[in-house]
Order: sequence, then structure tokens, then C-alpha cells
Amino acid sequence: MNRFLRRGVLTAFVTVIWALTAASGYAEDLIEDAASAIAIALTDEEIAIDTGFTGARLTLFGAVTGVEDPEALDIISIIRGPSTTFRLRQFEQRNLIWIPGEARTIDHAPGLFITSATRAIGDIAPLPDQAALNLTPDHLEITVDADTAEAQADILHGDAETSPTNLYRNAFLTEVEELGLYQSFVGDVSFKKGALFTINIELPATTPVGQYEVAVFLYRDGINLGMDTAKISVNKVGLERRIFELAHERPITYGLLCVAMSLFAGWIASVAFRK
Amino acid sequence: MQIYLPIAEMPVDPLVIMFMGGAVGFLSGMFGVGGGFLMTPLLIFYGIPPAVAVGTEAAQIVASSVSGALAHLKRKTVDFQMGGFLVAGGAAGSLVGIMIFRHLREIGQVEILISLSYVVFLSVIGSLMLAESARSILRAPGEKPKRRKRRSVAWMAALPGAMRFRRSQLYISPIPPIALGFMVGVLAAIMGVGGGFIMVPAMLYILNMPTNVVVGTSLFQIIFVTAITTVLHAAANQTVDILLALLLLTGGVIGAQIGARVGVRLKAEQLRALLALIVLAVCARLVIGLVAPPDSPFMLEIAP
Repeated sequence: MNRFLRRGVLTAFVTVIWALTAASGYAEDLIEDAASAIAIALTDEEIAIDTGFTGARLTLFGAVTGVEDPEALDIISIIRGPSTTFRLRQFEQRNLIWIPGEARTIDHAPGLFITSATRAIGDIAPLPDQAALNLTPDHLEITVDADTAEAQADILHGDAETSPTNLYRNAFLTEVEELGLYQSFVGDVSFKKGALFTINIELPATTPVGQYEVAVFLYRDGINLGMDTAKISVNKVGLERRIFELAHERPITYGLLCVAMSLFAGWIASVAFRK
Repeated sequence: MQIYLPIAEMPVDPLVIMFMGGAVGFLSGMFGVGGGFLMTPLLIFYGIPPAVAVGTEAAQIVASSVSGALAHLKRKTVDFQMGGFLVAGGAAGSLVGIMIFRHLREIGQVEILISLSYVVFLSVIGSLMLAESARSILRAPGEKPKRRKRRSVAWMAALPGAMRFRRSQLYISPIPPIALGFMVGVLAAIMGVGGGFIMVPAMLYILNMPTNVVVGTSLFQIIFVTAITTVLHAAANQTVDILLALLLLTGGVIGAQIGARVGVRLKAEQLRALLALIVLAVCARLVIGLVAPPDSPFMLEIAP
């Protein structure tokens, strides 16, 4: 409960600052120091989900130029999965048993959100940056909608801090963290030979399929010095892909195939074990 | 080693899944039961999404019923006429079950429906089996169980369209077998079971079919209805995982053969009591899952 409350207060505070700054085009002015720059490259441009997929390790290489003191630099990397619609239900106790209640739809949320940084992001980037650049899950622009008009009215008219929107928003963030879809790591960035660095990112087995964006931000003393982005796609390949596509595009054929396989396997077994 | 399941979209340990298939297959071979009513809850306990567990189990039951059905065909212990009406009712029941399943899945309640159905059926079957085996264990040695008398079935003959079922030596209306098939079809679609545990007693005690054609006819119906259910689940819900089914049936057919060989050498009464206890334990675990406060107060799913 405490965590929810803290997050709620923080979100409300940041939203106010964001509103003040975003309006004046703050985000575009953030990166002003053209003298120093950052460039990144990924080991893979595609992550393949095949039959042996249990998660993936992604290595991000980067270089910083125009800076004399790489030790004083801070780096934040964010990998952001495809925009996904989630459904969130709160359990309710009815006649002894717990059943999931009415659904709230969480829209425009990244399907995966993993950050790695040299220090806690809160210590690296000032709050307006965190909000404008969506640096932490707390600053993601997620919408919460209900299926029925009644619940929708409840969402719209609740007061700011204890409103159902915040309740569901915070619950959503807790759930995705538990599923391993949203994670934040500190200290995983290692500098090699001065201005070269690597970041290792572990993607969970539940990594959703789609286009991912990787963004890396360079900071020193709370000032944004530069950024670079890269793209990566996560796809099912081989047998996984063929089965999934057949099951979704030609479901009846797929169902008949499953039955044929079962009949055949059962027949093989009865022949093989005949006395 | 791990294998990523294409439809369940999660990695599983194939050896564990095959072992589960083997263990349930062993029990089903030993007792001559289908095993679907144990396999589906076990898959859910393992972490397979309940909808995928149900859809996939239907495919596995097709495989595990083939060898039994072939044996009965060879011995000519199948009443095709009766089986035809049971399948017709079963197909309609399966369609209705799939529609209920699909609707509840959309409103997020299908897991509760599956759990509740299992709690009801497992508690009834487990208790009946336990009582039955306790009676036969306590029965004085040498005393023979009473032989079943086939009562007259006048009320079923009075229903419209009564006809002669030669193989079953019955003169009844096709409405009762269609209704029975329908009920079992609904259960097959919602629970991922073959329904033999309801079908066999109902054929014996309600339809009054002769014992020698009951099992064969029931297997005949189960193969068709689970096959139809598999196709319908694949078409309506996309919840049949062919890789998971393959792992399960590989373990299952081997386990069933071993179980059938071991079963003949062991005392049936004690074994049936053991199976009853297993059924009740699975049921208790499901009850705890429903009654205990959930680990997290929220449930999150990705919208399709």
C-alpha cells in the first residue's frame, strides 16, 4: 500500500512539472551540447524465438566522443517493446471464492520496458527529463479505460491521488514487474578503454513479439549530453513460427492436423505394443 | 532442457511434461479410465494457461483412446447405432460448450469455470470411488457382489421415435442417448475430458445397455467427440498446442501400456482406493486455489 501511495504522489508531482515543461518544447531543447555525442550498436538486429527459446541476452555496444572524463559520465539505456493492450482485473471475493472482477484496459503500454543505468535513474536525470523522455515506468504515458460506462465514470471522476486510474496504473506496474516484463538494472553498464562501453540486457522468456526501440542517453552532472537509438525486432522463427501462423491463419486446418497427429500416434502405439 | 511451446507461448521442461503424461497414462492404463480429468488440472498446476490445457488435452485424449477403440472394433463390441446418436448429441454439446468457453474467456472468467467444474466432478467421482472400493475391501472374502439386473426401460420406449437397438438389445427412443451425448459433449469442451467417467455409468444404469458393449461404444463416442472438440477449440479459441499434445501423448501412450501390464497383477480394490485418494487430493488443491486469497490482488493478461 505504501509503495502505491508513494508512486501516486510522485506521479502526480511529475505530471505537473511535465505539463509545465512539455508545453514549452522542453524535450527538444534538452540535447543542446553538440560537442559530445554517443553512438550505439547492437550485437543482433533480430532476436529469434525458436523451439529452444528461454529468453535472450542482448549486448549493446556504445562509444562516447568529445568527452575527456568518461568516468564522470552516466548512461541510461532503455529497451522498449511494442505497444501492447493489457487487461487488468481485480480479484473479488464472492461466496467464498475469489473471482476476477471487471476488466480495465491498459492501452499504449510498452510490452516490455527494461532499463539499465550506471546509477539509479533518479540520481542521473532531473525529474523533468525523466518525464519528458519517459525514462522510468512511472513516467510512461499509459491510459486506463473501463469496458462499462459506469466504471469509466468512476475512473474519470475519482480524486487525483486515490483515483481508480492511479490504483490500476500502479497495480499494472507492479504486475508487469512481477512478470519480468518491466525491469530496471543499475550498474550493468561497463566502460572499457575509456570511452567505449557495453550493456548486457537479459530479455525474459515471455518477451513479446514485435519491433523494439533501444535508446541510450548520456548524462553528466544531471545534464543530458546526447542520445542515440537503435531498433531490434523479436520474431518467432522456424517451427514456432509455422505452427503459430497456421494455428491463427488457418485454424480449422490446424485443428484437423492436430487430430490426424493424435490418431496416428495412437495407432502407432497400438501397433508397437501389440503382443 | 527447455522447449518453447508455440501456442502456450512459454518454455517448458519436456521431460517433466512427458513424465506427467506417463504418470497419468500409467493410471489410465491400470484402471481403464481416460485420465483427462487428472491431466488437465496437472497441466494447470504446472503453469500452462487453463484454456490451452483444456484445448490440448482434447487432442491427447483422441490419441489415448485409439488403441482401446481398435481393440473393441476387432472384438465387435461397439454398438454403432447407439454410438451414432451419442456422437450426434456430443457434437452439438461440444459446440455449445465451446461457445460458453469462448464467451467466458472474453470476460475473463473461464479459469474459474474450469476450476469449479473440476471441483464438482472430482469431488463426486472421488467420493463415489472411495466408497465403492471401501465397500469391496470390507466385503467378506468369498462373498460375491450382487449381479446387476437389467430393469425395463419403459419410460425411454415411451418417448417419441422409439426404435430397436439390436446390438444393445434395447427398444428405446434415441432422445436419451442424444441427451447423454450432449451433456458429455459440453463437459468435453469445457473441461478437456473424454467423459468416460460419466458415460460408462450412465450407459449401464440409465440406458441399461449390456456390459459387453458399454466400454467399446463409449470409446467410439469419445474419439469422435474429442476430435470434434479439438477442431472447434483450434478454430474458436486457438488454444490447441500441438507440441504440448505431442509431448503428453508420447509419455501417455508409453505409461498406459506399462499401466495395463502392471494393473493385471495388482489388487484392484486397493488400487481403486488409491486412485480415489489421488482424485480427491487434486480436487482439494483446486479448492484451495479458489478459496485462498490470490498471491496478487490483480490479474493481468495481454489482450488478444
